Amino acid sequence: MKDKLTLDEDEIDCLQELMNISYGSATAAIAEIIDRFATLSIPHIRTASLEEFKEYFKNKLEENNSHYVTSQLINGTISGETMFIIGEESACNLGKEFDLEDDEIIEEELKDVVLEISNIITSTTLSRFSEQIEASITFSPPSIKVFQSSDEFNDSYVNEYNYIIIISTVIKFKEQNIKGELLILSKDDSILYIKEALNKVLDEY
Amino acid sequence: MKILITDDSKMARKMIVKSIKYTIGETDEIIEATNGEEAVNLYKEHNPTICFMDLTMPVKDGFDATLEICTFDKNAKIIIVSADIQEGSMKKAEENGAIGFIKKPVNPDNLKSMLETLGLI
Repeated sequence: MKDKLTLDEDEIDCLQELMNISYGSATAAIAEIIDRFATLSIPHIRTASLEEFKEYFKNKLEENNSHYVTSQLINGTISGETMFIIGEESACNLGKEFDLEDDEIIEEELKDVVLEISNIITSTTLSRFSEQIEASITFSPPSIKVFQSSDEFNDSYVNEYNYIIIISTVIKFKEQNIKGELLILSKDDSILYIKEALNKVLDEY
Repeated sequence: MKILITDDSKMARKMIVKSIKYTIGETDEIIEATNGEEAVNLYKEHNPTICFMDLTMPVKDGFDATLEICTFDKNAKIIIVSADIQEGSMKKAEENGAIGFIKKPVNPDNLKSMLETLGLI
């Protein structure tokens, strides 16, 4: 099964390009909202086992002390989950861009801002992506959790995935010192659908 | 017509080639670069008629490559092909010397009208 779920070089290249297009639209939407210029990163794609993903995720959290992590389920032709990770300092700076006063920079307010941003990034990126591979998806409302350290990462979290495509893209507002990362996790049957769709796109060129 | 296509994605380069063939038929030569640094070197070596340049690339991005090429050749014709559709990106690319901006994925009709507007076909 693992072989069937692994992406080859051309499939990764194709997925990277489709994600680049999708994330570009999302970044433009956010940049317009906060009227700031953002830098896009090249989407990084890797496939991982659940254990590898947990390690990857924990490493992300270890970079700083506290992180806001949103999670949003996706259903339809592609099913899985998206996660948006943003460190506390970036979240505070993001809050300021949304006109929060110093006394309003508190966890509850920041959660609200991060949820909103995450929702826009996720829905714009995934909608654009699914359009390109002719998939149909729906989103559940996002939820948010604040991790003070990687130790809080619950082992039961994301346990329903056997094999995961990690699509990681960073949005960076350099002047405002804001950096967030979007992770897209897809379930095994969705990986098979994505692979098939990617090969259809590749056949066209 | 000699054309330089710069994109780190093989698929993106193929998409542009396909659109070019659809729009202007066969060309004399299509040269491909996988990052901005390669693009600058290949530009100097081949002196292409038009360059299609991605923005987000490893080694050297499209902004810097555009600036470097346009400093080398003030008449360089660089068209940005990017998913980064922020106004700030378009402005910066233009300031660096790009003469046009096409949003990814490339639509052959948009490419055609861009080339016509610029008097390149």
